[in-house]
Amino acid sequence: MRRRVVPYLLLLPGTAWLLLFFVVPLYYMAELSLNSGVVGELEFNWNWDNYSEALSLYDTQFIRSFIYAGVATVAALLLAYPLAYTIAFKAGKWRNALLFAVVAPFFTTYLIRTLAWETILFDESPVTEILDALGMAPEGHVLATSGAVIAGLTYNFLPFMILPIYASLERIDVRLIEASKDLYASAAQSFWRVTLPLSAPGVVAGTLLTFIPAVGDYVNAQFLGGVGNRMIGNVIQSLYLTQSNYPAAAALSFLLMALIMVAVFVYIRFAGSEALMGEEAV
Amino acid sequence: MVSSEKDQRRPAAALAVLVAVAVLALGLAACGGGDGGIQGGGGDTESESVKLEGKPSGSVTISNWPLYIDKGTVPAFEKAEGVKVKYIEDVNDNTEFFGKVQPLLQQGESGGRSMFVVTDWMAKKMRDLGYLQTLDKSALPAVEENLRASLKDPSFDPGREYSIPWQSGMTGIIVRKDLAPDLKSICDLFDPKYKGKVDFLTEMRDTVPLVMKCEGVELASASEDDWMAAIDKIKAAADSGQIRRFTGNDYSTDLTSGNAVAVIGWSGDAVQLQIENPNIEWRMPTEGCILWSDNMVIPIGAPNPTAAEAWINYVYEPKNQAKIAEYVNYVTPVEGVKEIFDKSEPELAKNQLIFPDDSFTKNCDTQPTLSGEEDQKVSAAFQAVVNG
Repeated sequence: MRRRVVPYLLLLPGTAWLLLFFVVPLYYMAELSLNSGVVGELEFNWNWDNYSEALSLYDTQFIRSFIYAGVATVAALLLAYPLAYTIAFKAGKWRNALLFAVVAPFFTTYLIRTLAWETILFDESPVTEILDALGMAPEGHVLATSGAVIAGLTYNFLPFMILPIYASLERIDVRLIEASKDLYASAAQSFWRVTLPLSAPGVVAGTLLTFIPAVGDYVNAQFLGGVGNRMIGNVIQSLYLTQSNYPAAAALSFLLMALIMVAVFVYIRFAGSEALMGEEAV
Repeated sequence: MVSSEKDQRRPAAALAVLVAVAVLALGLAACGGGDGGIQGGGGDTESESVKLEGKPSGSVTISNWPLYIDKGTVPAFEKAEGVKVKYIEDVNDNTEFFGKVQPLLQQGESGGRSMFVVTDWMAKKMRDLGYLQTLDKSALPAVEENLRASLKDPSFDPGREYSIPWQSGMTGIIVRKDLAPDLKSICDLFDPKYKGKVDFLTEMRDTVPLVMKCEGVELASASEDDWMAAIDKIKAAADSGQIRRFTGNDYSTDLTSGNAVAVIGWSGDAVQLQIENPNIEWRMPTEGCILWSDNMVIPIGAPNPTAAEAWINYVYEPKNQAKIAEYVNYVTPVEGVKEIFDKSEPELAKNQLIFPDDSFTKNCDTQPTLSGEEDQKVSAAFQAVVNG
């Protein structure tokens, strides 16, 4: 009898935590998103208009956020995979040092790391001049452009991409790769048909861990972006903190959550489920 | 080809990812949803008045912004009036502070605060919701005598019924004089010569009225259409790339690095920035500036309002105010302080950003006000431009 109780007791702290800090606030936010009126005179009346208005007023920022986050995720993947591959298979005794280098920026806060880019990319900086000479700064400056925001997102979430990919690459049984070579696969064939599929869980995890926070981010757009680069996170922040329009902000937060969930489910359905559930036809 | 052992590990990996995603989502939701618990219900718009009870005594709790007072004033007041002061610096942002105290005020409580300090428009907003008491002027002779004439009759509180300025400041232009020597007016900020090199404030009540002044609008009688026209002008400048960014205090990094040659900015910041970089300079726009104040107000349910009024009166004595003014570098709302500095610190006394004379601020206006409904419409339009 006692043995049956123990697992539930173990679940208790975590469940209580989630209930208190996730479910309860979520409920309040859901209720708030259906209020109407201004702060001080808010009234709950199933005001679904908040949702349709949020979508029609801020569709630009929604689309922009998904594009920025999407581009940043792809860029992070292209940067992270070769790096993770090198660390996992080629780094030898440098492996731990390289892993440390990946994590090291995290010892500084997110905000400071983002502000550092402001210093690196200011208009007269050598970096900006080089980019300008290469034709990569059509407006004459790098800061206050969409490129800067996407670069900031990519940089800030890169470790979230590297670490899961590294973890799944590192776990691969090298005998499988050797076997593919024994069966006359070329290096490219054995990568595409053995290594990549086996590392797919890491890729899926990495893309989710990068994409989801990137969509809702507002720090990069605020500091590295300019006019016309604000993301949906900035809109939510401004609705909460400068306009005190809590119902609209709550509705927008829910819409963002819903859209992210839809995007994630679609992604997992088409790209991820096989990799995650281990049914790929290798 | 895959070993069965690995097959079993896969669902575990999937679970790990889902947990990580949930944790992340939780973190984001926690960041965004801090104010989730505000409940509805109408505010009592009938305003209460301060009821004085003889001589000040007991203890008083004052909420103010950080770094807004010198070390000596509180102990000196305690000694002079025999009142114990609990001075807390918990106002960082008007809207944020409003979010914090609104649920209390809604129930007629002030969270133990006898007084707090908020900017003009927030004071008006709170007053309109019935959260602030009418002051009893009979205990405030020093205010009557020493309040700067230009601050006596602001449009949001004619006759200063419920708000008394703590410190004031000006919103105008801060320029890099080496990079934009000829920029003198708000209208100049729209000159294509400075394309992509000017920042505007995200603070609607500073940016939009200044642009209205460029358009020649009389602020005291500005209509909703005037606000909207100015916002359209700002939108056009934002769309064309004329305006680089909408910022708060962080315009300072753009100015020091030269990313921006001119910004709409605050006088108190200019005093600080000038010390760090002599090329940075405050300019009074030819159209004039916006003169704002952070105001002492007494909320409903405030304990010991008698002592709170004694505090107001105390800091309006020029010799007491001089100690605060020396520390904060904003515009002091109290007449007679300059005369004290003329003797002790003539350099400071000459600084027009701390002691502007009447001819310097002759074209300046206080922030114009909007009714609740107009305010929400105009805010939404402006934020749409900022978040474009």
